Amino acid sequence: MSTLEVKDLHVSVTDEENGKGQEILKGVNLKMSTGEIHAIMGPNGTGKSTLSAAIMGDSAYQVTQGDVLLDGKSILDMPVDERARAGLFLAMQYPAEIPGVTNIEFMRAAINARREKDDQIPVRKFIKMLDEKQNILDMTDEMSGRYLNEGFSGGEKKRNEILQLLMIQPKFAILDEIDSGLDIDALKVVSRGVNSMRGDNFGSLIITHYQRLLNYIVPDQVHIMMDGRIVQSGGPDLAKKLEDEGYAGIRDDLNLDVKLTDEI
Amino acid sequence: MRPSLQDKYMDDVVQFSHQNNEPDWFTKIRTDNLEKSSDLSLPRYEKINYRSWRLDHPTDFDAASVVTSYEPATSKNYIIQAGGKTLDIHLQPELADKGVILTDIFTAIKDYPELIQKYYMTKVVKADDNKLTAIHAAMMNGGIFLYIPRNVKVKDSIQATFVQDNSIKRDFNQHILLVAEDNSEVTYLENFITSGDAEENKANIVAEVITGDNTHVHYSALDQLSESTTSYLSRRGITGANARIDWAIGFMNDGNVIGDFGTDLLGDGSHTEAKVVAITTGEQVQGIDTKVTNYGRHTIGHILQHGVILESSTLTFNGVGHIVKGARGSDAQQESRVLMLSRHARGDANPILLIDENDVTAGHAASVGRVNEEQMYYLMSRGIDEATAQRLVIRGFLSSVITEIPEAEVRDRLTQMIERKLINGQQ
Repeated sequence: MSTLEVKDLHVSVTDEENGKGQEILKGVNLKMSTGEIHAIMGPNGTGKSTLSAAIMGDSAYQVTQGDVLLDGKSILDMPVDERARAGLFLAMQYPAEIPGVTNIEFMRAAINARREKDDQIPVRKFIKMLDEKQNILDMTDEMSGRYLNEGFSGGEKKRNEILQLLMIQPKFAILDEIDSGLDIDALKVVSRGVNSMRGDNFGSLIITHYQRLLNYIVPDQVHIMMDGRIVQSGGPDLAKKLEDEGYAGIRDDLNLDVKLTDEI
Repeated sequence: MRPSLQDKYMDDVVQFSHQNNEPDWFTKIRTDNLEKSSDLSLPRYEKINYRSWRLDHPTDFDAASVVTSYEPATSKNYIIQAGGKTLDIHLQPELADKGVILTDIFTAIKDYPELIQKYYMTKVVKADDNKLTAIHAAMMNGGIFLYIPRNVKVKDSIQATFVQDNSIKRDFNQHILLVAEDNSEVTYLENFITSGDAEENKANIVAEVITGDNTHVHYSALDQLSESTTSYLSRRGITGANARIDWAIGFMNDGNVIGDFGTDLLGDGSHTEAKVVAITTGEQVQGIDTKVTNYGRHTIGHILQHGVILESSTLTFNGVGHIVKGARGSDAQQESRVLMLSRHARGDANPILLIDENDVTAGHAASVGRVNEEQMYYLMSRGIDEATAQRLVIRGFLSSVITEIPEAEVRDRLTQMIERKLINGQQ
């Protein structure tokens, strides 16, 4: 069993205009183990994506306090690629497009990065695995032959993120708004992919606005985030409650002094 | 006062010509141009300074190469030369029957004097154009002649490999003369490589492409001259009416290089695509001046250059698009981009458009930039280490040129070469 622990995490970003640091995360605490699916829900602008980027090690985000521990060891000094090889995966909301590099060679490079130089994955084994995973996601060979995310629709990009997840098989996957821009059919396909990973050796942190995704990927725990902190945690019922009451309702229940971005 | 090239080398030039049993008219081309060379200047290229390279100081152009081993060719038609000597040559018999000529330049001078007299340094790269072309004409010591007669479309590619010998002191003055008569088509693949590393040498290479009406020449070159070779590489073409020359050049050399390169679009309706990929590493300087001039009406000239610079190297891309008065309905487009991987590297992309006619279209794009951080983050977030991620991003950056190269074989070899050169540069 592996664990991922976020301890009193404070994260700032530098404002491009005035060069000043702005605190986005104000002390996040979270602990999860493989075998568990956690969901983080929260209104826009509350720091959900910042949390995922900070865990992954995006240099645009500065950790000013606290720690992130994988199996009890701090990963804050590790560069992004090392964190990934240690077992973290981030399905991104806006994956980069890389022309000239095919999906296939990219995924092989990613898998081989985790293997010894003299023990690279045999082509046949790789292709067999790719076929299997593509089937789960209703994807064709045509997509894998295309350049990485170039000219992909929003839905195709999300599917491609999940394909990479299935191929790489990390310990922990953070899914950053993987449901945004997906229609109901695509949402089911993506959920099927994530659910196929469920098991004792896999944990996932699902970041979403909407309860809908959680109908298909049922979480073990739900956390509600507002203004850079986790304000409430609970079981799957918490997501349902949120759906009924909205973020404003939860805020008022908890007597929080938070202004919601989308509040009129 | 320093003795002129003429005083210093006249005897050697005459002797070399006689040793080769060259006809008197060819000996005269050599001696005339040796005389002229003293009064001519080095060619000038915007923002490329190479005076200190001493390309105008020839040394032992007449030494015999000692290279005898070579890698076999991959095409069905090929010629392999080392230091001016032909090591292996093959032309499909059916092509020979149709009148296609593939031979070394010295044989061509003897066997096809009318063609050589007509085309050799007279129409495309004129012998007395500048000091370096004159030195080339005087001291040319190897090369090939490829001739495609009227109405002949050569299906299989023709490959030429030139091995430059750095195990001895010897200038490498190769001449490539490619003549494609009306309604012909050919794909020509060229490789320059270096063998040995005992000596530092100079290369002065001139390639001329003459196309008749309605011809199509695909010219791909992969240059891999070594760090101890300093080169002047001139590749130029002229077009007949509705002719087309497609250039794909990979500047993968490790030494200092001046590339002078491009097409004069003479015939109405003719078209050229000039695609260049360059990687510079170490302390290397590569200056590439790609120039297309639209003379004929309704001519199309497109330049696309992408380069990557590592370590303390320097890469300059000049893109010169010139539309002369009267070239109505013509189009001149160019894009030059340089990707910097090191703070110590220097890159320059200079678009130069000279438009002397109103009824035309023209455009340019140029940039010098760094690796896209977002792409790097994405690749590294999948566990790919920084160096490998960089190579993938670079491959992507160069791919917009590479994918435009029609021959899969050239694309693959270029991709391999890029990988090799990048790995060397990243160490």
